[in-house]
Amino acid sequence: MSAFKRLGEGGRLDRSKALSFTFDGARLSGYAGDTLASALLANGKLIVGRSFKYHRPRGIVAAGVEEPNALVTLGAGATQEPNSISTMIALAEGLETRSQNAWPSPRFDVMAVNSLLSPFLGAGFYYKTFMGPLKRSWMWYEPLIRNAAGLGVANPEKSSTRYDTTYGFCDVLVVGSGATGLSAALVAARAGLRVVMAEQDFAWGGGLLSQSNEALEYWRTAALAELRACPDVRLLASTTVQGIYDGEQAVLQTGPRLEILRARTIVVATGAIERPLVFPNNDRPGVMLASAVRTYLNRFALAPSSRAVVLTNNDTAYQTAFELAERGVAVTVAELRASPTGDLLAKAAQLGIAIFPRTGVADVVEEKGERLVRLAGRHSVTIGCDVLAMSGGWNPIVHLTSHTGSKPVYDEKIAAFVPGILPKGMFAAGSGAGQFGILTAIRDGERVALAALKALDVAAAKKSVDLPALREDREYAIDPVWGEASRTGKCFVDFQNDVTTMDVQSAHQEGFHSVEHLKRYTTLGMGTDQGKTSNINAIGMMAALRGLDIAATGTTTFRPPFSPLTIGAIAGRSVGAHFRPVRRSPMHRWHEQNGAVFIEAGLWKRAWYYRWAGDAPETAYIQEMQLVRSGVGIADVSTLGKIDVQGPDAGEFLNRVYVNGFAKLPVGKARYGVMLNDDGVVLDDGTTSRISEQLYYMTTTTAQAGEVMSWLEYLLQCHWTDLDVHVASLTDEWGGMAVSGPKSRQALELAFPQDDLSNETLPYMGVKDIVFDGVTVRVLRLSFSGELAYEVHCPARYATSLWEHILRAAEPLGIKPYGLEALASLRIEKGHVAGLELDHRNTLDDLGLGKLASTTKPYVGQALRFRETLQEPLRWSLVGLELLEPEKKLRGASILFAASDAIKGHGRGYVTSVTWSVELQKFIALGLYQGGLKHEGEEIIAAFPLKNEHVRLKIVSPHFIDKAGVRLHA
Amino acid sequence: MLDARSALFETADVVVANCRLNETQDFTLTQVAGPDKLLAKLLGKLPPKVGLAVERDGRTLLRIGPKQMWVVGDAPQAVENIYTTPLSSGRSRFHIQGADARRVLQSLAFVDFHAAAFKVGAFVQTGVHHIPVLIHCIGADQFHVYVLRSFAQDMWEWISDAMRS
Repeated sequence: MSAFKRLGEGGRLDRSKALSFTFDGARLSGYAGDTLASALLANGKLIVGRSFKYHRPRGIVAAGVEEPNALVTLGAGATQEPNSISTMIALAEGLETRSQNAWPSPRFDVMAVNSLLSPFLGAGFYYKTFMGPLKRSWMWYEPLIRNAAGLGVANPEKSSTRYDTTYGFCDVLVVGSGATGLSAALVAARAGLRVVMAEQDFAWGGGLLSQSNEALEYWRTAALAELRACPDVRLLASTTVQGIYDGEQAVLQTGPRLEILRARTIVVATGAIERPLVFPNNDRPGVMLASAVRTYLNRFALAPSSRAVVLTNNDTAYQTAFELAERGVAVTVAELRASPTGDLLAKAAQLGIAIFPRTGVADVVEEKGERLVRLAGRHSVTIGCDVLAMSGGWNPIVHLTSHTGSKPVYDEKIAAFVPGILPKGMFAAGSGAGQFGILTAIRDGERVALAALKALDVAAAKKSVDLPALREDREYAIDPVWGEASRTGKCFVDFQNDVTTMDVQSAHQEGFHSVEHLKRYTTLGMGTDQGKTSNINAIGMMAALRGLDIAATGTTTFRPPFSPLTIGAIAGRSVGAHFRPVRRSPMHRWHEQNGAVFIEAGLWKRAWYYRWAGDAPETAYIQEMQLVRSGVGIADVSTLGKIDVQGPDAGEFLNRVYVNGFAKLPVGKARYGVMLNDDGVVLDDGTTSRISEQLYYMTTTTAQAGEVMSWLEYLLQCHWTDLDVHVASLTDEWGGMAVSGPKSRQALELAFPQDDLSNETLPYMGVKDIVFDGVTVRVLRLSFSGELAYEVHCPARYATSLWEHILRAAEPLGIKPYGLEALASLRIEKGHVAGLELDHRNTLDDLGLGKLASTTKPYVGQALRFRETLQEPLRWSLVGLELLEPEKKLRGASILFAASDAIKGHGRGYVTSVTWSVELQKFIALGLYQGGLKHEGEEIIAAFPLKNEHVRLKIVSPHFIDKAGVRLHA
Repeated sequence: MLDARSALFETADVVVANCRLNETQDFTLTQVAGPDKLLAKLLGKLPPKVGLAVERDGRTLLRIGPKQMWVVGDAPQAVENIYTTPLSSGRSRFHIQGADARRVLQSLAFVDFHAAAFKVGAFVQTGVHHIPVLIHCIGADQFHVYVLRSFAQDMWEWISDAMRS
């Protein structure tokens, strides 16, 4: 016989909407308004999964977010989502669900053999046992152990769920829509504030949904109607507040959508969770929280088939007993206390409920298909039942208030932790603050909402919150019971992690006394439920074992998220093509349409090489290098940082920023410069051109563009406020292209026939603005490749058009585009340092640029540049490297060793940049080597451990070609 | 002949439900910096604080920082001690309009776009998908989004995608 039966009437179900769903392949049905859990119970599915470690059969314990057992996998393939809480899932037509950690089925699970081994599988067993015999044995055991234990399996496929993130703002965030939440929201809404009320359930009312009182239902409905009519109130159902962070910032999850909400005030009305009682075999299917039994009765019209036992240490479980009895269920109460208060006894007698005082449960067993509860204490009897409803008291949900760093405090009167001192703007109320009872909750909700209004300096509306016509709340009465080890069966403290009272005792015996150590040693409070039903019982036990009171024992730290959420929800839309933003040059589309293969350079997509030169990067870039060395090529350099520097003090400013002099740079001239951080290490290099008396045009490396811009702003705003200088980023404003090679001047003369670009008017490091077709074009005679070369810059919106014009005009010269690989390789031949060498660890002297620094003027980084550690003679510094074994390959990042060194450890340096030299017909490289060019001419070893390769190199000058600079000045 | 080109691959409007996204090209944007007195002399009465824009003589003046304005419209003449930087090429400008426009914006940036908080004439310099943008409310349900040109295509795709949420 099924443990539960669906009543013919009642509940909050839409019986006109029957819904079909599957569980482990079986087709079942329920109603709109059901949760998956209630529908499973209605279909007689009492066992819905197997436990984490021992594979014990497990059923539904709770009716809310605290459910530790009934986790299921939703969907399949691309929509598969494991560890979903069946008590929180709204039943939907076609819902596909599966049990977890059980094979072939939850009812018959092969791995239940673990249960037989359970005496050996206590806390710490794995870590103590599987450490040997070899050092790395754990790595071998771990996958086997993980296969044998666990929860659901993550979706191995790409999820088809669309996740998203949004942002929100409000004056008052109310977390929870129970009596407290509704009351608080009404007060805030009536004051005309922007209110968000978030409810994790798909239905509104929190604990009110489990009540059967008509006056209360009227109050709930009226409150909701009023809130719905307020234009500035957002009611978010199926929405869990997963975390609260500094600045009243909350993260709300609604299915696959996260909302980051900034609330000016927060009212936490999250209610309380009932505690299980700890007794032998308290994890048997059919043992449930008393409040859950009541919820299934009143909300889902599910009653135990005929008999129920209620086990309690407090008064609240009596309401469950009474309502069950009123529906014809035979109820027995095992009362752990000496006696409940008189009115409860009277009503129980009236309903024919037997009460056994000073009586607990010694065991729960199944015999011949019947569930038997063996009572012990003053009354030792065995009672058959469908359901054992237990209540160990109530724990206010203190998770969210704890996220802000507020430590919960123990309240002896209710034997539970309540929120501690909360940050300004945050309020806790109702049962979430230990204020139990419905009228109490409504009044408390109103009280804290008024406090929130006061904090916002907003006047409250005259109308106060009406109270439903109810009898005054009973005073909450409890005798706390935490649990102790038993020889007759496992007493579970944490259902989800299979932690028993024995485990808690072991932790204590082994010295893991702190609750944080207890958690790590036993895994108690971990998992998807984060100890919602287990923590306080365990703390109570540990306190007793240590002879301390609970307040001194303390709690573990509650951290977000409050309940399980998918990684997908955290990632939102930032996946796939939107994993990170993509930056494109003004000519990107042209490159795409003309055979470019792209490579990522930071956020930029840069043309790596072009298919005209070959289909493989290893050969294509060599073709492109040859083009530049022998003719003319054009490369997109729009990604370079570009900064507008203006003002009467701009020259002085640059003179301080760069190590070399800029004060006397003539108009129409560019100068290479290096700047240091204030710690004396190289920040960046580039050229700056003087366009007019007070206008300079700075270029930086692509990688450091943002950093240099910030640095300049920082210096001007914080250090040199006396300088009249303005800087603005032009990186996006100007497109740039390098026209390089011995025929580059001819190419530009063909492109701009009306302008004089001769060596006399535009010598090396000269700059000239020309106007072409109404557009300002800046021609800078600079060379990164070592050849005669120019950079041509123009406003970005015209850049593609200008690029196409130059290609067309210079076509007779054989001009073609070249990509980043060739660009970066040409500079290695020339010996120019770039990002790989300018890695924020090297000094001017390391890079061979020490002589560039002025000795006659101060500059940023000057003082610290000369500190002892940066002047140490054995620092790694720049060298050129030539491969001595032509049949082998030299790889970037190879580790450098002296010829006599043993090849191990970090070596004496490394290869920073490597290329095939079209001029030298061998692999060459730049590298950093201990002592640098003091070792010029020496033979050394480059090791590449990942491929176990060693090659012989010779240290040479880093300037491989045209040391005299003849080509540059051509 | 040189022609100006959009940073977008496709410039067709995107319309989803009550929201339309399109690019508005051919605008002139100039960053102008200098002391307020001189700026006011050059441009007329200035917006009183950062985050506010005013329409003045056919131009829109956006106060983007202390002593710094964006001028959308004819570039101001060069004047001593006033420093101008053309930025027309460096920004793409998107126009988002419609009854759902604020909802779409709310999914993009951690800024309060409620009609009572983000009124006509207000603008905000913020980040969308890690990209710096300036969002300007130009009508009850109309907004300009200025985005760095190099990120324009990415931002277009990001906003279009958000509209479909």
